[in-house]
Amino acid sequence: MNPKLLSKLRSFCRDDAAFEQLQQSLLENIQPLESEIEQANFQIEQQKALFHVIARLREPLDLETVFQATATEVRQLLSADRVGMFRFYPNSGYDDGEFVSEDVDPAFSSAMARKIHDHCFGEQFSAHYQQGQMQIVADIYNAGLSDCHIEVLSQFEIKANLAVPLLQGQKLWGLLCIHQCQTPRQWQPTEIEFVSQIANHLGVALQHAELMADLQAEIIERKQAEQAVLTLNQGLQKAIVELKAVNRELESFSYSVSHDLRAPLRSIDGFSQALLEDCLEQLDVTGQDYLHRIRNATQRMGNLIDDLLNLSQVTRSEMHLEPVNLSSIASNISTELHRSEPERQVEFSIQPGLVDQGDARLLQILLTNLLNNAWKFSSKNPQAQIEFGLLPVETEIPTYFVRDNGTGFDMAFANKLFGPFQRLHSAKEFPGNGIGLATVQRIAHRHGGKVWAEGALEQGATFYFTLKPEGAGT
Amino acid sequence: MSANTKSILLVEDNPDDEALAIRAFQRHHIGNEIVVAHDGVEALDYLFGTGTYAGRDMSIKPTVVLLDLKLPRLDGIEVLRRIRSDERTKLLPVVVLTTSSEEQDMLDSYSLGCNSYIRKPVDFLQFSEAIRQLGMYWLLMNEPPPV
Repeated sequence: MNPKLLSKLRSFCRDDAAFEQLQQSLLENIQPLESEIEQANFQIEQQKALFHVIARLREPLDLETVFQATATEVRQLLSADRVGMFRFYPNSGYDDGEFVSEDVDPAFSSAMARKIHDHCFGEQFSAHYQQGQMQIVADIYNAGLSDCHIEVLSQFEIKANLAVPLLQGQKLWGLLCIHQCQTPRQWQPTEIEFVSQIANHLGVALQHAELMADLQAEIIERKQAEQAVLTLNQGLQKAIVELKAVNRELESFSYSVSHDLRAPLRSIDGFSQALLEDCLEQLDVTGQDYLHRIRNATQRMGNLIDDLLNLSQVTRSEMHLEPVNLSSIASNISTELHRSEPERQVEFSIQPGLVDQGDARLLQILLTNLLNNAWKFSSKNPQAQIEFGLLPVETEIPTYFVRDNGTGFDMAFANKLFGPFQRLHSAKEFPGNGIGLATVQRIAHRHGGKVWAEGALEQGATFYFTLKPEGAGT
Repeated sequence: MSANTKSILLVEDNPDDEALAIRAFQRHHIGNEIVVAHDGVEALDYLFGTGTYAGRDMSIKPTVVLLDLKLPRLDGIEVLRRIRSDERTKLLPVVVLTTSSEEQDMLDSYSLGCNSYIRKPVDFLQFSEAIRQLGMYWLLMNEPPPV
């Protein structure tokens, strides 16, 4: 108490004894007041520190900065020797970890960058920490701690320890540790409460950091996906340009074939005929026969060129997709076939009402080829039967079939059926140019579907086709 | 007007095809005059009395033009376009006689107003028959547009 005030008080008293009494009673009243003021001041400082911690959480700071500033602030406020953030290594069973941030009195060693293994910790404490409980030790040598735990703590010269769990959501991420190294220390309830609040807020920061990391990973993932789509698109664009160029080349090629290859054939044929007409007397029978052979060959070649052109037109022509009634196309073709060879007895069985999405012109060509083949290859059967329908089995996409009971084919050659100019029979036995099934296959492919065949010699053949890619549904 | 005053303009660059076409006309005793132009420019020169045909008697007009499509200098499609866009020839019957069966060629020819499109068959006898029918139709049966 200051001397001025004391001398003033002395003048109010009648003697020294009274003054002594007054002094005694004043002291008794002032002491609790001073302690209350001190506590209030501490609480104000605590609130300020908390406020700083929370304010920092709102700033876009990285975890390291938040930890470092918080460690410094807490150590100052509590006059502790070391404040550190300890992190468990993920999947170490809470046995291993390290301090990732700290503020330490220069008189004591740093706990950072030292891998810490405490095998008795994992089983002893982790469950408690996980539930949010803290370790409050005033004197590590008098708290009933296990020897191995004491050993770990004493490595860092710790005398008193306050360890509060840092929870990232439900997960025990690490510990906020307050160390007293100089002497043991009785931790005050207000101090414990303060540290616990700080730990809660750091837990929020940890959760934010985790969310941010997830978000950033997602952003990177999305950017990569976007890049992949972009690359793919560029590749596709390039492929389209290339395809268009190839298509143009094909067109000019087939134009040349159509025009330039046929012109010499006309000359060969025309002048052979001219020879036959103008110089008949000068030619013996053999000479005349040779000229006829020349004419036959040029006409065959003309037909081959036409077939090739038709095949390439099937590939190049533009597709116009619409619902197409396959059954009625098949019936019309069967009527035509009967008209072409009225003497033949062929029984057609066509499933009615089969409608599918496709190019009407191409599907007409497809069915014409398949039904013409069935008609042709069943010509040796006096009771020929030709069937067109939809496979009754439950398949993802409709499978159509054309079946005949004709001469069939050896399954060993089934893969040869669809190649252009591939023939399994001699032209004498069954006339044809070997282009029909190649055309059928191209048409099926252009619709995204496929074609295949089953058969056996003298036991008929079945051709199946689809008009959609597999997995396209109906 | 007697049939043999009606002439034919044959636009054909291939000498073999030219010879075969003329042979086919002769086979069927179609004796009308056949003027041959060997490319698109020559064909237009004949029709409009220009170039090598400058000063020719323009009162002689072909009754029908047999036009190949693939020609040197100016192709058949372009010749057809010029014929149709000129007052003097816009009604002139033009028969496209070509090797091409390309859809685009047919579309172009009909869009520009050809009167007929015939694909030359490889078989000479078929070709000859086509020429006979052409001659019969355009020189005898068909009434040409009034001049």
